[in-house]
Amino acid sequence: MNEITRQEATREPRVQGSEGAGGERDRALQPPVDIFEEGNALHLLADLPGVTPESLNIEVDNNILSLEGEIRLEMPEGMTAIYAEVRAQRFARRFTLSHEIDGDAIEARIENGVLHLRLPKKPSHQRRRIEVRAA
Amino acid sequence: MFGDLRRFDSGSPWGGDWFREWLDEVFPEPGATNIRAVPRGTYPMINIGRTDDAVRVYVFAAGLAAGDLELSLQDNVLTVQGERKVAADESEGDARRPYFRRERAGGSFARSIALPEGLDADRAEARWRNGVFEITLPKREELKPRRIEIQSA
Repeated sequence: MNEITRQEATREPRVQGSEGAGGERDRALQPPVDIFEEGNALHLLADLPGVTPESLNIEVDNNILSLEGEIRLEMPEGMTAIYAEVRAQRFARRFTLSHEIDGDAIEARIENGVLHLRLPKKPSHQRRRIEVRAA
Repeated sequence: MFGDLRRFDSGSPWGGDWFREWLDEVFPEPGATNIRAVPRGTYPMINIGRTDDAVRVYVFAAGLAAGDLELSLQDNVLTVQGERKVAADESEGDARRPYFRRERAGGSFARSIALPEGLDADRAEARWRNGVFEITLPKREELKPRRIEIQSA
């Protein structure tokens, strides 16, 4: 049994509607992500197979984080498709950030097609331990 | 030269696809499903293309390194198997790490897919880059397209 098809673990990459005049060209897959909090930062992991550091574009604008990456494959001329599960040229997904994220301090690295974003919180919003005193 | 993935788009028109996905969800298909069909978004996703002299299989396995994927070919059925650890698995016992989303698949997987007949498994090659494995399976000589000369009578 293929564990990986577990319902709760799998999110099918959905195809988003195209935006603007680009029409068909702009079709993008929505990559599955993990988001967790650790060490005064949010961490985001996204599966972007086929995306290279050069074809990846990460932007923060007005508290909107956009991830966009073009899938770059080497395909010989004259190839015809006989079966396809990945049917788009790029991945794209957007998130709204809350105000405590320090947009200037975001770090990103991509390895083996997995993007790891570290979104640190502003120092004023870092976690503090609250002592509970006995009454 | 990088091709265009839309070449894989030989099937249905894409405009209404979100609608069909939604329909599939709400009204599951009453008919028979291919026994080897997988749900959409299964990890890893696979594309297959064909040229005149080879069949190329692309396995979209983000997070796997070269040694993490095992490939085998028996007759014309290609099996890919391996295991992917995602951070979500490693920290299962770590209650101090709050999760907001866990969409990435983790664990072991095995997928089989039928390829066209007449491939030369001995000359197969596999390459790996940016989380995509590319397997090239040359066609046997006798199956390559051949030009037929027309002789004048």
